[in-house]
Amino acid sequence: MRQAGRWLLLAAAMVLVPQAAYAQKKKPHKGANAGAAAAPAPTPVDADADQAAAPAAPPPSADQPAAGAAGDTSGASAPAAGDTGATGGDTGGMDICQITPDAPQCAAAKEFDLGAEAKKTVRAEIYAVQQEYVIKSGRFEIMPYFALTLNDQFVSHDAPGLALNYYLTQVLAVGVNGNWYQGLNADSDFNFQNRRAARIAVPLNEYQFSGDLNFTYVPMYGKFAGFGDFIFHYDAYVDGGVGVIRTRPIPVIDPDNRSFQWSTLVNFDVGIGFRIFFNRWLAAVLEVRDLMYFEKIENLKVATGAGAQDKTTWYDPDTHFTNDVQMQVGLSLFLPTSFDYRLPK
Amino acid sequence: MKRRFVRTVLASVLAAGALSTASAAEAQEIQLTGPLKGAPAARHMRLYREGRFEIAPSISFTLLDEYRRTILAGARLNYNVTDWLAVGVWGAAGAVSSTTDLTDRINVTAPRDPLTAINVNHAAAPYGNGNAPQPSFGDQTAKISYVIAPQLTFIPFRGKLAIFNKIFVDTDLYVAGGVGFVGIQERQDCGGTGQNLHPCSDPRTFALQSTSKIAPTGGVGLTFYPGKWFSIGVEYRALPFSWNRAGFDSRGAGTNGNFPDQKVDSNDETFKFNQLVTIALGFSLPTTPKLSE
Repeated sequence: MRQAGRWLLLAAAMVLVPQAAYAQKKKPHKGANAGAAAAPAPTPVDADADQAAAPAAPPPSADQPAAGAAGDTSGASAPAAGDTGATGGDTGGMDICQITPDAPQCAAAKEFDLGAEAKKTVRAEIYAVQQEYVIKSGRFEIMPYFALTLNDQFVSHDAPGLALNYYLTQVLAVGVNGNWYQGLNADSDFNFQNRRAARIAVPLNEYQFSGDLNFTYVPMYGKFAGFGDFIFHYDAYVDGGVGVIRTRPIPVIDPDNRSFQWSTLVNFDVGIGFRIFFNRWLAAVLEVRDLMYFEKIENLKVATGAGAQDKTTWYDPDTHFTNDVQMQVGLSLFLPTSFDYRLPK
Repeated sequence: MKRRFVRTVLASVLAAGALSTASAAEAQEIQLTGPLKGAPAARHMRLYREGRFEIAPSISFTLLDEYRRTILAGARLNYNVTDWLAVGVWGAAGAVSSTTDLTDRINVTAPRDPLTAINVNHAAAPYGNGNAPQPSFGDQTAKISYVIAPQLTFIPFRGKLAIFNKIFVDTDLYVAGGVGFVGIQERQDCGGTGQNLHPCSDPRTFALQSTSKIAPTGGVGLTFYPGKWFSIGVEYRALPFSWNRAGFDSRGAGTNGNFPDQKVDSNDETFKFNQLVTIALGFSLPTTPKLSE
């Protein structure tokens, strides 16, 4: 019986040890200072509650815009904790926890022993954005958009599209996107003017659809004050990947004899995008993306006689490296729509 | 069915409206009861613009050119009346000009014969002289010589940018608008009657002549401030006006003027939404910015 009890204790210890190890290994959040990161059991803070409180938090200086909201050093939070006995008198009555004790950041501050926290060594590094407005890690992004051709004066390849991404980390996502072009390829008047004036025909191609597997990297983020009145957040990203595109020539040189089928070609794509957040789950997106592939174009030479019907003579023997540069305008929806910060601000 | 669809759409719009306004209402609630009611969104902000002159040498690249690309070198001069409004002028001159792939292809493949004699540059009247080398088609394509644009700059957004979580720069976003005085070189008029003009098949008519245009211009740009007295700017600018970029006779005849009339004149000019990207390095005086409250 005693042995059974020992075995049970050992089993319980084995279950608990890995959990403690995981907690230890977890890196502190980028936006939090070292003192807060060392707290034994940080309470997740609701993102929306934090947003509501942010305007009311008094910034102590221009270089430490958000430190007051953390509740670890500023006099604004000390009375709420109750442990230190500090009064908020030195703030000259600017203590939000005295005015609105139910404010979310006051409740968060109660979770900490401010006296003990104050004795810890603080890594004196202040981030430009203390707590990123949108946590992307572990969230899905759905991005419907419309793509407009930027670099083809002869045929435009406009297309609606959809991208789906999953953020593995705050800065890295993997996903897919697809465009549907068929029905929206448009031969331009400029093309006709050139044919008539210079008596030359430029081979044209149209697209059916494209689809790519992409990686997205988000190296830049920031915030803007609009008219000195409101603040909005943005980020910029680069993406790239590989996929397929289906194209076919539009018969221009010998339309009487030639009729082309769709061909599936491998493409590579790179892009750079800019995202403005309306809230924590909805953003407007502007992206410029280049789809690169080797195009099969119509042969400028026409075989005579029966050879004109020979399909092997319809294509130019060489493939041509093609850049299809698109501007994509769309919306970005993040799911789930809400999230918790691991550490308080 | 239709009524049901309308109800569904209305319900969706109302739901979306309620969702989008909910968070703003919460923020407002806190502001009303908080001690910083009415406080600015940012305090102790460096006012990089207010009361300062800026001179910004720039280099501009034309975009989406059909026949000829131009790189313009110039500068922007601004006086920032406030942190959100500036008056100034941007000027640039064409420094480098190169032909596009389409121009090169036309040059190589377009036949020099009676059908193209009025549109494609050729050696001797009426359309070439045996095996003599042909002049380049690129020589007849129009180019931008200079741009001078007095303008107002409006700076509604001001903030900061983090790059790789290591580099932090103050940034502003601006829109600029004004009037552009544009000098261009395009193919001279030809083929008219009673104006002592040569017929358009005459090789002399493919030479370019200077002329000018007045056009609206506007742009949007980002300015990054890595230091107190210098900045780096990236700007997109539109400069729309009509011009004959290829030197073709493409319009003027027919009931709607959409057919060639054997003349090259203003009827052959077509509207182009000319676009440029500009990179600028700005220097501000005085060298130290003010701080906001």
